[in-house]
Amino acid sequence: MDAISLMESAANGALIGLMYSLVAMGIVLIYKSSSVPNLAQGSMTMLAAYVVLAFANSAGAPIWAAISLAIITMFIIGLAIERVALRRLAGRPIIMILMMTLGLEIFLRAGSMTIWGGTTRPMNLGISDAPLFLGPLLINRAYAFGAVVTIAMFGFFVMFFRSRMGVVLRAISDDYTAAWSVGISVERGVALSWAMSAVVATIAGVLWSSVQGVDQSLAQLLLKGVTVAVLGGLDSIGGALLAGVLLGVVEGIASSVLDPLLGGASRDLVDAAMLILTILIRPHGLFGRHDIERV
Amino acid sequence: MKLLSILAGLALALFNVMPAAAADSVRFALCYDLSKAYTFVSPQIAQAARDYADLLNAKGGLEGHPIELIVQDHGNEPQRGIECYERLKREGVMVFDMLSTPVSRAVLPRIMKDGNILIQSLVGRGDAVDGNVFKWVFPIGPTYWGQAANDIEYIKQKSGGTLKGVKVAFFYIDYPFGQEPIGILKTLAQKEGFELQLVPYPLPGNDQASAWTQIRRLNPDWIVSWSLSNMHVIASREMKRNGISIEKYIAVNWLNEVDIKNIGPDVAKGLKRGTNVAGGSNQPLVQEILKELYDKNKGNGDRKFTEDVYYNTGLAIYSIAFEGVRLAIKKDGWPLTPGKIKNGLESLKNYDANGLIAPITVTTQDHGGGGKTRIEMWDGGKWVPQTDWIAGFQDDVWSVVKEQSADYAKSETQK
Repeated sequence: MDAISLMESAANGALIGLMYSLVAMGIVLIYKSSSVPNLAQGSMTMLAAYVVLAFANSAGAPIWAAISLAIITMFIIGLAIERVALRRLAGRPIIMILMMTLGLEIFLRAGSMTIWGGTTRPMNLGISDAPLFLGPLLINRAYAFGAVVTIAMFGFFVMFFRSRMGVVLRAISDDYTAAWSVGISVERGVALSWAMSAVVATIAGVLWSSVQGVDQSLAQLLLKGVTVAVLGGLDSIGGALLAGVLLGVVEGIASSVLDPLLGGASRDLVDAAMLILTILIRPHGLFGRHDIERV
Repeated sequence: MKLLSILAGLALALFNVMPAAAADSVRFALCYDLSKAYTFVSPQIAQAARDYADLLNAKGGLEGHPIELIVQDHGNEPQRGIECYERLKREGVMVFDMLSTPVSRAVLPRIMKDGNILIQSLVGRGDAVDGNVFKWVFPIGPTYWGQAANDIEYIKQKSGGTLKGVKVAFFYIDYPFGQEPIGILKTLAQKEGFELQLVPYPLPGNDQASAWTQIRRLNPDWIVSWSLSNMHVIASREMKRNGISIEKYIAVNWLNEVDIKNIGPDVAKGLKRGTNVAGGSNQPLVQEILKELYDKNKGNGDRKFTEDVYYNTGLAIYSIAFEGVRLAIKKDGWPLTPGKIKNGLESLKNYDANGLIAPITVTTQDHGGGGKTRIEMWDGGKWVPQTDWIAGFQDDVWSVVKEQSADYAKSETQK
């Protein structure tokens, strides 16, 4: 394995990692407002991709219009999930809420299989597949595009959390009881975080679908999203961004070196190792608040 | 009152079921994965089986006996496959098809013990072609070992009859399906002197980036791919990104028209696949089904599936199974027994389902029927055969078969 190969794996890994970050951001958004680790984020990403295709193929909308319509639809679905499934569990043990999100995950995956079947469908964003060389390094254009969109989304969230509504969400995140006592509608804030998370899932779904097509395997992005979110700190959007890059680079280099020796599963091994080590050594992640600790 | 209605409904349901299970029908159990990993292929195969059964039933069935297909979902879960087998076995079914490697493997010991028939074309353990050991298992068609050997035979033909100095990358999904041909490829590499590079990629098959970086740096002459469905689509895009010609790519049989559409018919030009069935709806058998069923709105599914090579694969599997049973009834008479069906299947000689498949001859020794495939190339609009039906390196394939079936036989005698 030469140095250029390693650099190329690291560069593409960083870009892939930024796309993982997008899934992780959805998890972080919900966790920040309600301390709920959403295990349905991968399935929401998958569902969003199917919704885009439904608008594009069934309704005949151009792809960019279909994405816009899907963003609106998923925003409403996010609100609905919080209102129908999560709000009534307020005050219940966290394990019940966790199981609810797991139930949602299974429901969305099985439901999509029933409605759309298991055949993979393409999503063409018009990104060229032609080789793109930066010096000696071959860069994947789809990943590069995804990375740029992820950074733009991060910029949006930085701005958003400085807005009035963003400050409200931060207040809920800091101390929802105190937020409640000063008249902030915590329910509305939490609902908004679910809706925003669903919107992020739509963008992640579109980007990942342009790489791998639309099928139920999109739901497996949950593992990447959770690993990145835990590594970065479950309540840190910036942490999710940097942890994504870190995970992607380590995965890329590890798979280049280890795959020929161990088979194709080294990425999953890296994910598992990162997740376990983070929880053992630094439970609040790289940039999370210290109150997320082992007891 | 409500209870009475339910009881009446149940009675009616039972009454309706009884005629379907009529004693003079030939029953086949299709315990399929209709909800998980194999859904890219199982609906088309089940549809083809139903269509062909309807067509034959309209002509009087198998030597006067109607065909009855029982289709149930096992979700690719071995335990559910075993449940399906046990339940239908109790109902008197003698011929089973699991269309799943893990489920076929799980059911096989029970089949062997009970002496029923397991049709396991294109799935399951490759050494089951050894009819001396696996008396009740019929993996008719090519095994993955045979397919891989045939791919190497094609490469040898294209390389002027020698493989010395040829570089072959084996690109595979890293789980049992993808790993299956590694043994035979290593044997052939050693024997024929070509350089074999193993390039695995992980499940679920979407992340191929680093595998293709490796292949670009290896710069192989040929890429033999053991991938399923959409994995080929992703591979085609990675090949383009890496500047690798798609003409080097030889896919296993699990690549269909939907995949070609997703790759792009023009982009896919030059791509190759190994196959044991002739694709397209212009095959005489498909034409007859379209005329007799779909033109009369009697088809068992979406008409567009009849253009899919997996539909033809289903027709191939069931034309063989039905013909074997027909021969059994003709030779040994009614009522059927598993032994009679076995003899019927072992009587198939140069059977090609009216040009749909490579001619197969099943014997008591060879339950694979010869393992012939051919290499086809996509020319932008259709598949063009690049070879005749071939079965290369049979000695080497059978040597691996015998070695592994002997292990199975030994483990069974030690129980």
